[in-house]
Order: sequence, then structure tokens, then C-alpha cells
Amino acid sequence: MMKLSFENNYQCVVRLNKPVPFITTVRTQNTSARGKHVNKEEEPFGKKPLSVLEKIRDNLERLNEKMEVMIELQKHGRKDAMLPLADTPLDVMTLLSMPDHLRKTAMTICRCGRATAEEISAQTTRARAVESSYLNQLVIMGYLKKERKGRKAYFYADRETRG
Amino acid sequence: MSKIIAVHSYKGGTGKTLLAVNLATTFAKQGKKVCLFDLDFRAPSLFAILNMPNAECWLNDYLNGTVDIGKVLVDMSSKVPGNGKFFVGFANPATEAIRDMSAKDRKWEMRALGRLLSLRNSLLNEKEFDYIVFDTSPGLQYSSINAIVTADFVIVATTSDRSDVDGTKRMLRELYNLFEKKTGLVINKVLDAASISKRQEMDKKVREVYQVPMLGLVPCFCDILRAEGGLIFVRDKLDHPFTKIVDEMARKIEKNEVS
Repeated sequence: MMKLSFENNYQCVVRLNKPVPFITTVRTQNTSARGKHVNKEEEPFGKKPLSVLEKIRDNLERLNEKMEVMIELQKHGRKDAMLPLADTPLDVMTLLSMPDHLRKTAMTICRCGRATAEEISAQTTRARAVESSYLNQLVIMGYLKKERKGRKAYFYADRETRG
Repeated sequence: MSKIIAVHSYKGGTGKTLLAVNLATTFAKQGKKVCLFDLDFRAPSLFAILNMPNAECWLNDYLNGTVDIGKVLVDMSSKVPGNGKFFVGFANPATEAIRDMSAKDRKWEMRALGRLLSLRNSLLNEKEFDYIVFDTSPGLQYSSINAIVTADFVIVATTSDRSDVDGTKRMLRELYNLFEKKTGLVINKVLDAASISKRQEMDKKVREVYQVPMLGLVPCFCDILRAEGGLIFVRDKLDHPFTKIVDEMARKIEKNEVS
């Protein structure tokens, strides 16, 4: 669980998919962000500053993706429709029942097989952040799987392990 | 350019298989490397039309994931004049296979969609086919919608029958539009198609009722009925008007003139 405190007193608590090896508190001060290490026993900040910063960056990217999903949920006001549906096949009837904006993303990922948000956005001609948000929605809905390789997040329909 | 073409209709008996076989043969006659697939698993017919008594592997096996696509394709280039290549993937006509395909669940259909989509890479990119033509089953069957999603261009065959017109109109609006598919309409079995006024009337009807471009108008030919499915007109009757109509359709598709 990560807890973000913002200057304007908004609090955002996000549960991460994977456990993080350290706890990070981010405070925004004007335009800059500063990371503060809490658990010194696990990974001392001074010894490996680069790797710590990379982890902070990765975690912030994950947070960003989660927040994009939350923003989309607020926009569409369809919380019920976004509840995770475990083991839901991404078949043509499911594609037909999807809202237009998600269908376009889902069909593109069907054609590509496995792709990043950037690769999908190149085909749909929509912004990367928008595609990232839609892809994460499809992950939450149980239609897609997500796998990280370094900095890149790959999305795919898990055809082989289902059924 | 449209490389994967699906031939579909709302109702049965509209001439999908006739169009698919003759269009694929026309491309092969022109020297192209073409693959024709029978995706009508509930009523397979290509094996009878192309006189194929038995196949080693069926398209069913490929979609089941038990064989590679290369084993399914039957080389029938010798049956087509010219230097083109003509391969066919047959659907298994055995009753047991039809029953088996009818009982597939959504997860299987999802994997089948993945396998159809992968044909673009395995056939068009790796084996350098010029065209893939899908002959589908009518209506909203899983196999047909999978084919539509996979295709670059969909030929919708329809007739002047009122229920067909109504169903096709609904299908275009509620299926094709959602998938943003490029579509061309073929009106088959048209009476008095030779008259200019009739053609103009049909053109107007297509624009107003279906709101998609017309690919072709096929008159009701007694010769086609008399042939009882035993002839491939574009191969066996080179001077027949139907051959000329299919030639024109192939030209429009190749030149991307359907709009």
C-alpha cells in the first residue's frame, strides 16, 4: 500500500499489484518532487542511489497508471462495469458488447498480440496516456494481462492459459 | 490494399460460396497466390464444389491447435489456368466434426480468433500469399464474426428478399460499423438487372438503405442454377456475364475502388 500526500491536502492511497521493497513518501513542492527513504535496513539510500531512484520512478509510473484508471472511472461514472472479472475471454461477442473507446483498444491488441501502450497508440492515433488508461481498464476488467519488462509494460490477451 | 477478404451474408442461399470460389479463382487466374478457406463449419461445402474427396488435415484441426496451417492447405493450382497459386483450407464435413464445432465455448472461440489473426503473419508475410478469402457461414455465428474481425474487407452478399434486406441492414449497422470494417455490397439474384433503370434503382437503394458502397450487381442467372454447383464459372465459362461481373469485382478490390 502506498500513501501519497499532496500540498492541497488531497490524499491518494493506492494498492500496488506487486509488493514494494521500501516505503516511499512523495511530497510535491511547487513543481519538484522529492523522495524520502524510510526503511534503511532493506536498501540504504546512500549505497545504491541510482537503483533506488529507478525503483521510485517505476513505482511512480505504476501510480500514474493507477491514477489514470481512477480518472477514467470518475469520467465515465461506471464503477460497476469496471469490477474485475476473473478469467473473462476476450472473444468477439465481448468485443461487440464493449463501449466504442475500449473496443478500439481491445481490437488493436487482438491484432498485435502483445504490445505496449505506445505501440497501440501508434495504431489507434490516440495519445499514449489515453491508451495506457484504456489498457489498464481492460486489465482490471480481466480481459488483458500485463507484464513488465524493465521500464516497459506489455499488454496481451492471455489466450493459452484459459480453458 | 485489402489482403484478407471475408464473404458474408445475413441469410443463407445468397451466393456467398459461389462468390468466394469465383473471386479466389479470378485472383489465381491473374497470377496471384491465393488461399481460400471454408469457415462455414456448420454446412461445409467447398470440398464438394472443388471435388475434394478427403483431406489429410482440416481447418478444424488448425483452429483446435493440433496442426500447423501448412498441413491444412491443399494445393489446387493445377485446377486453375495460368501461373497463379491456388490453395484451399477445407472445413471437415463429417457430422461428428460439425457437432464438435457447434459445441465450442467462448474460450475456444477466443483462441480461434487468435489463430485466424495469426494467418496474416504466417500466410501473407511469411508464405507471401497475395490474398486470403474466407467463405463464412451466414448470420451472427462466432466463426463468421471471427472472420470479419480478421478481414481487411468484407463482401456482404444479399438478395432483394425483404427479410434479407432488413437483416442485412441491421447487421451492417450493429456489427460492421462497430468493427469499423470496410465493406462492399453484392446484390445477387436481381431480376431485370440488364435494364439501366433497374441498375439505377438498385444503386439508389443501396445508398439509401444500406449506406455502404456497392461492389456488384449479379442478375439471376439460370445457367448458375443449371450448373448445380459443378462449375467454376470464371474458369469454365470465360465469356459468361457472371465471369465478367466477378472480374470487375476483383479489379475494384485490387485497385481499392470500393467507396
